Amino acid sequence: MPDFDAKKVAEIHEHLHSHLPSESALRVKALETLLVDKGLVNPQTIDAWIEAYTEEIGPKRGARVVAKAWSDPDYRQRLLDDAPAAIDELGYLGKATAHLKVVENTDAVHNLVVCTLCSCYPFSILGIAPAWYKAAAYRSRAVRDPRGVLAEFGVDIDADVEVRVWDSTAELRYLVMPQRPAGTDDMSEEELAALVTRNSMIGTDRDLGLE
Amino acid sequence: MDGIHDLGGKQGYGPIEVDDDGGPFHEDWEGREWGIAQCARTPGITIDWWRHCRELIMPVDYLGRPYFDSWAQTDFSTYIEAGWMSLDDVAAGKPLVDGAEHGEPPAPMTLQQVLQEDHDHAIRFDGEIEAAPAFSVGQRVVTAKHGHAGHTRLPQYARGRSGTVQAYNGAHVFPDLSAEGTEIYQHCYNVMFAAAELWPEASGSKDKVYLDLWESYLAQPDLG
Repeated sequence: MPDFDAKKVAEIHEHLHSHLPSESALRVKALETLLVDKGLVNPQTIDAWIEAYTEEIGPKRGARVVAKAWSDPDYRQRLLDDAPAAIDELGYLGKATAHLKVVENTDAVHNLVVCTLCSCYPFSILGIAPAWYKAAAYRSRAVRDPRGVLAEFGVDIDADVEVRVWDSTAELRYLVMPQRPAGTDDMSEEELAALVTRNSMIGTDRDLGLE
Repeated sequence: MDGIHDLGGKQGYGPIEVDDDGGPFHEDWEGREWGIAQCARTPGITIDWWRHCRELIMPVDYLGRPYFDSWAQTDFSTYIEAGWMSLDDVAAGKPLVDGAEHGEPPAPMTLQQVLQEDHDHAIRFDGEIEAAPAFSVGQRVVTAKHGHAGHTRLPQYARGRSGTVQAYNGAHVFPDLSAEGTEIYQHCYNVMFAAAELWPEASGSKDKVYLDLWESYLAQPDLG
């Protein structure tokens, strides 16, 4: 059991700062070696988790959800009303999505998601967060200068569009539903899903193209 | 804790490195650490204690080392603090006690088992409590002026500010106490803040910032 002793942990961090190798690969190797040697972790299970989040779980899931919502008004409503149940219709409920909320972009509203305190992210539907999402520049600026942040992603927001920033401070997680591009009426769900970018579901992309 | 992790609104971190190849891991060790974090659990740990241990990393390491490196260091710290690993083990690079000191090693899991586990780990953090919510949707609230030395999820930039309750989330595990090992539920709300209320340069802006906040972070505005 942990003692929940923050002072002790601060001391451990200071010790590790001086005593662990400086290369990240060696630090992680040291951790894995100890956990495996102590019989706490099976290395083949680590392999399976890597494969799961490389091959199976990633932003393609979110894109399929968005495409289904664009194609099926009833599904869109279920997604807005109860996102965990709606994504589980596709089998996508999982890590960090039990309290998922979907926020919808419109002509008048643009949504942007951040976690200023750590790096909360809806894993089971978007996979591993991009590096910039976990970096200090994005975490510090998204709540204060969202339009400047969006401009760096090449997204210019009209002055009359309201920007809504969602800071993931609790166990709720947010998925942005981008707007369906014009000229896609005849597209299948599969074709539509191919248009949905990961960034558009975080909010750092807005106008999805047909390319 | 007013630590280095509380980054919202801080200035000087420069432009965002927007280029990304879309892949989940860019180095093998990043994937290893992701996998370790999914299957290594310090017994008795809570998510908030793990987050607090990450916040306690020295600022120079928190900001200067790669992201998944900080996960590895957090895992080291929670295992060592709980007595499942020692600093001597770390120095030696191997357990100093022979044999499987914590019982039989876990059996390997297949991809299908891991995918099922991911699905089964849609952990809910809400629960029933007797007390009625103190605030209702549409009500104006003001946030606490100060934090405290422990773990808390009211960021500095949103302290002492007025907002409007936009949604009621139910009663959720209260992180400040969960980080100390006590799991109680407290009403949690989504609160909308005008950007102009938070930032001096945002006066006249129509933009909004939304945070999910627990009831004890909130009070009724002073009506006087």
